[in-house]
Amino acid sequence: MSLAGEANRGARGAVCGIYPITPQTEIVEFVARFPFTKGRVIPVESEHSAMAVCIGAALNGARTFTASSSNGLAYMAENVMVAAFYRLPIVMAAVNRTLGPPWNIWADQGDSLMFRDFAWIQLYCDTNQDVADSAMLAFRIAEDPRVLLPVMVCMDAFIVSHTSMEIELATQDQADRFLPLCDVPHHLDLEHPVTIGGMSFPQETLTHRLELDEAMRRVPAVMEEHRVTFREVFGREVAGDLEAYRTEDADRIFIASGSISITLKDVVDEWREKGEKVGMIRIKLFRPFPGERLRDLCGNVEKIGVLDRNYSAGTGGIFWQEIRAVLQGQGDRLVQGYLTGVGGGDVVPETVREVVRDLSQRSKAAAPIWKGIDQ
Amino acid sequence: MIEIRIHGRGGQGGVTLAKILAASEHCEGNSVQAFGVYAAERSGAPVQAYLRIDDEPIHNPNQIYEPDHLIVLDPTLISPAILSGLKPGGWILLNCEKSPEYYAAQERVATFRIATIDATSIAVKNGLGSKTVPIVNTALAGAAAQLLGMNLESVIEAFDDFGFHGGNIKAAREAWDAVRVQQQAPRPGERHQQVMPHERGPGILDGNTGAAPALRTGQWANQQPVWQNATPPCNFICPAGNDVQGFLAALTEEDVNSALEILLQTSPLPSVCGRVCPGFCMTQCNRSELEGPVNVRALERYAGDHGETQISVTGQRLEKVAVVGAGPAGLSGAYHLARLGYGVTIFEAGSELGGLMRTGIPSYRLPREALDRDIGRIMALGVQAILDTRIDHHRLEQLTHEFDAVLAATGLQKLTSVDLGVDLGSGKGQVMQGIEFLDHARQGSINVEGEEVIVIGGGNTAIDAARSAFRLGASDVRIIYRRTRDEMPAIPEEVDDAIDEGIRIDFLCSPIRMRRDDGKRLLSCQRMELGEPDNSGRRRPIAIPGEEFEIPCGRVILAIGQAADFSLLPHDAVLSKTQPIETDGEAPVYPAGDLLTNEGTVTAAIGCGRDMALMLHERFSGEKLYTDPPAAETVVRADRIRLQHFDRHHRHDENVLPFADRKSSFDEVRQGLEDVVEAKRCLSCGVCNTCDRCVTYCPDGVLKRVGREIVFDYDYCKGCGVCMSECSRAVIYMKAG
Repeated sequence: MSLAGEANRGARGAVCGIYPITPQTEIVEFVARFPFTKGRVIPVESEHSAMAVCIGAALNGARTFTASSSNGLAYMAENVMVAAFYRLPIVMAAVNRTLGPPWNIWADQGDSLMFRDFAWIQLYCDTNQDVADSAMLAFRIAEDPRVLLPVMVCMDAFIVSHTSMEIELATQDQADRFLPLCDVPHHLDLEHPVTIGGMSFPQETLTHRLELDEAMRRVPAVMEEHRVTFREVFGREVAGDLEAYRTEDADRIFIASGSISITLKDVVDEWREKGEKVGMIRIKLFRPFPGERLRDLCGNVEKIGVLDRNYSAGTGGIFWQEIRAVLQGQGDRLVQGYLTGVGGGDVVPETVREVVRDLSQRSKAAAPIWKGIDQ
Repeated sequence: MIEIRIHGRGGQGGVTLAKILAASEHCEGNSVQAFGVYAAERSGAPVQAYLRIDDEPIHNPNQIYEPDHLIVLDPTLISPAILSGLKPGGWILLNCEKSPEYYAAQERVATFRIATIDATSIAVKNGLGSKTVPIVNTALAGAAAQLLGMNLESVIEAFDDFGFHGGNIKAAREAWDAVRVQQQAPRPGERHQQVMPHERGPGILDGNTGAAPALRTGQWANQQPVWQNATPPCNFICPAGNDVQGFLAALTEEDVNSALEILLQTSPLPSVCGRVCPGFCMTQCNRSELEGPVNVRALERYAGDHGETQISVTGQRLEKVAVVGAGPAGLSGAYHLARLGYGVTIFEAGSELGGLMRTGIPSYRLPREALDRDIGRIMALGVQAILDTRIDHHRLEQLTHEFDAVLAATGLQKLTSVDLGVDLGSGKGQVMQGIEFLDHARQGSINVEGEEVIVIGGGNTAIDAARSAFRLGASDVRIIYRRTRDEMPAIPEEVDDAIDEGIRIDFLCSPIRMRRDDGKRLLSCQRMELGEPDNSGRRRPIAIPGEEFEIPCGRVILAIGQAADFSLLPHDAVLSKTQPIETDGEAPVYPAGDLLTNEGTVTAAIGCGRDMALMLHERFSGEKLYTDPPAAETVVRADRIRLQHFDRHHRHDENVLPFADRKSSFDEVRQGLEDVVEAKRCLSCGVCNTCDRCVTYCPDGVLKRVGREIVFDYDYCKGCGVCMSECSRAVIYMKAG
C-alpha cells in the first residue's frame, strides 16, 4: 500500500496533510518517513484538518496528497466537498474499508462511494500496479487545466492495500517527465487578492455547478490523452475508464470493480473453456461514470450481472444502480445486482461461479441478491 | 504454485514473516505474493498471513483456503480450524521446543509432515522483540527457508529490505541449522474439510455484538500480571511503624474515626506525633515530585484530635509488667502490653506522665490538652501509674522480683555540657541546661525579661529554648550552632518559625568561654568551617585558626545533647533490640526508647516501645505479633508511580498564630487543618485504592475486582501488560509465566 505513498513521492508531492487510520496507516508512515526534495508532511489532529491542510496548500499552488479510509473519510467529509467545489487538484488515496459501527476493518467500498456526488473523480483500482500507476495518472488528470478537480484513488482494504507483490515502480526521472510542475491557476496571490468560496447567489451557484459538470464531462477524454503520455513515458499501459474482457461475442456480461474483478476474470476463463459465452467489464472510473462507453460495450447483451462490494440500504449495490440507469430502455434487458463481499468477506471463485450460474438460469430480474449469507 | 498459510498472534510478526519469505523467494527469481488477514487489531489476537510462490505471475487476490504448507508461530493455535483445507503430505512448521515426533503421534496431524523449531528461545536469546512478545519471524524465516529449499543467503538479502540486521541474521542462521523435520513419511489421507460460514449471525440489535471475542491464550502469554500491594515509602520509613497510607485512605473518605483506629493500632500518641514528629514520612512522600509532600503530620493531628474510637483490651494475661519511665517509649510499651491484657504499672520520677513530652516540649508546640488526651486513652486501659518515684539501680533490681518483666524506658537523662569557665547553675543570668530551662518556663518559674539570651545547639531543644525565651520577653535571642542549617537536627519548620519570630542563628560558630568585662558578660566564640563527614554522616565542624570573636551575652542556655544513663541497669547489661537483659530476679528487663536506641524522637521511641512490648509478649505467650520490616525493594518510589495520571493540587497547610500574638503567649502556633481534604493528595503508592483503571483498560476484559482485590482470568490474559502500565501506583507487576 505504500505504493500510493511512493507514487506521491514520485510526483514530488509538495504538501501532505494526513492523519492515520487503519488500513491506510502504512501510507502515512511511508510519506512521513521519506524525505521530500521540496515540501513537507504536516501531521494533524484529525482527518477534517488533514483535508483542510491540503485545501490551504493547494490554494497556495502546491501539489497535494492525502490518504484516508472508512470513518476517517466520513469525518473528513465536509472538507472533501470543499476541495472539489474550490476546484483544487488534490489526490487522495482512499483505502476502502467498511464503515462502522459495528467496527470492521475489512474491505467495502461504501466509504468512498458516499462521496459520489461531491464532484471528485473516482478511480477504483484492482492491483498494486494499478494503484501505483493510477496515483501517478491522477495527479496529471487533476492538474489538467481543463479539469481541475480532485481525484480519489480507491483500493480494497487489505486485499490490495496490504498485499506485497512485485511491481514496476516509476523512476524519479519518469515521474518528472510525466508530471510537469504543478500549476493551480487560481492559486492565491498577494498581488492580486481575490475571495474564493464566499457568498454566492443562486444564479452564480448555478454557473459554479455547470462548470463542475462541464469539467467532469471532459475527464474521460483527458484521461485517454494522458494514458497515451503514460504509455510513452513508462512503456506500459495504465487501465482507463473501463476494462472489457471477452465481451465481443458474449451473451452474458458480468461487471465488477476493485479486486473482485480479478477473481471474476478467472471465472470467465473457466466458463469460456466450457464453451459458455461470458465476458466481463471492470469499472475503474466511477466518477464521472463512463455510461456511453459502457452502453457500447454491452451492445445488445441481454443478461448483465453486477457484483457490488458496497450497498445502499433498501436499494442495492451502488454500481448496479448506476449501470441499470445507463442501460435502461435498451430492449428487454436483465440487469441483476449481486452483493458480494459486503463487510469485507473474501469473494472466492465459488461465490463468483454461483453468480454466473444464477444469472445464466435467471429469466427475470429480482431484488439484489446477497452472497455469503443466508437471506 | 506453492501456497503457504501462516498462523500467529498479533505482535509475533507473522505478516512480516510472509513478506520476508516473499522477498526471499523474489531474490531466488520467483513470482511472489504475501499478505495478512487481520483480526481485531490487538496484540495476541489470532492473525493469518498468506504466501504464494510461483514461476508464473500471480494475480489471485483471494485468501488461501487449500494451503500446501502451514507455518504456526504459536503451537497453542493448533486446532482443527487451522488445518482447514491443508493438502495431505504438506508440512507444518511449528514454533515450539518439542520434537516433531511429539506432534506426529497425534492423529489429526498424521497426514502431514511436522517440522519444529524453538524460535521463541532463539528470538529471546538474540534480543528480538520484547519479553512480552518475542518476535519470532526472522528465526522462522530461516527454518522455512530450509524447508522450502531456499538459499539462506536469499533470506539474509531480503532482511536488508526490512532493515533487519544483527540478531535477526543470527536467529535465521541458528534456525536454519536447528530446524527438525519428521523423518517418518506422513500417512496418505484426505484433504481436511474447509468450512465457509454462511449462516446469519447475531445482529447489533441482539445485544451481543461489539464485544471483543474471548481468546484463550493458554501458554501463549509468556508473562502474567500479578496484583499485589507493595510498601508505600511513608509506611516503610515511619519509626513508629504507622500505616500512614492506611489512615490517609480512611481520611480520603472523611472517615476520621477509622483513621484514628488505624493509627492506634501502632501508636497511642497521634495527637502528640501529629504535632511534634519530624515527619519522616513527608521526607519520603512521592507526592514531592508533584507539588510537595502530603501534609501527613497535620492529618495525623486531625485524626488524633477529632477522631473517636473505642480501644479495648483484646487479651488476658496473668503476668505483671513494670514500666520505668512515662515518656513516649514507656507509654507506648504500656499501651500495647495493656491491650494484650498484661497488668501494667508505670513508675515515673516526675509528678505527671509524659516525660519530656510534658517537660521538654513547650506548649506552643504541644499543648497539654493534646498530650493528656493521648495519655488518657492509655490509662483508660487500666494502666497503673506510680508518680514521683525515681527508679535507681537498687529499686530496679527489686522490681525484677516483684514483677514478671520490666520495660525500662528512662530516655536520655544525662545532659551534655561544655566548660565555659563558669559554674553551671550558679544563679540567674548564668548558664543553664535547655531541658531545665524549658521545665522552668513551663512552670512559670523563670524570668528572662529584657535579657540577651544565647542558646547553644542545633536540635529541637535549642529551638524550643530560644523560642520560649522569646515568648518570656527576652530582649534578644540568638542561637549559636557549630555547623550549618543543613546539618541541624531540629525540625526544619521549627527552625523556619524561629527565624520568622526574629531569632538569629549564628552558624559555624562554637562557644569557647564566658568572661566578664567592665560589668558586661561576653561569650567568646570560634568561627568554624565544615570538614569531612563524621560518623553521623554530617560534615564535621573544624575550627578556623585565628578566627575568634566575642558577642555580648546575658544568659546562656546549653542544648547540645543528652545521653542515656545506664546506671540503673545491671552492671554487666548488654543492650540489644533482640534480647532482653536477664537478671538475678526472675524478670527480664527490656530496655526501650532512647535508653536503647538514642534516636531522639518521640516517633522512634513509640516504635521501639511497641517492638519491645511485642517481644516481651512473644516470650510469655509464644505469639509473634510483630512483623519483620518489608524488604527495601518492595518500596514503591516515585519512579514507579505514574505521576502523569494525577491532577495537581496544592498542599493544605495549617493556619498559624499571627506573629504579633506570639511575643508573650505560649498559645499553640500551628492551629491544625480545618478539614481532611489534604488526605486526597495521597497517591496511595503501592497500595490498591480500587481506582479500577486496570479493569477499565484491560483490552480483553480478563480482570475484575472482587471486594477490594483484583483477580485475573489467566486463561484469557495474553500478558500484554496494559493493566500494569495503567496502574498508577505499581500494585500490578508482570511476572514471567
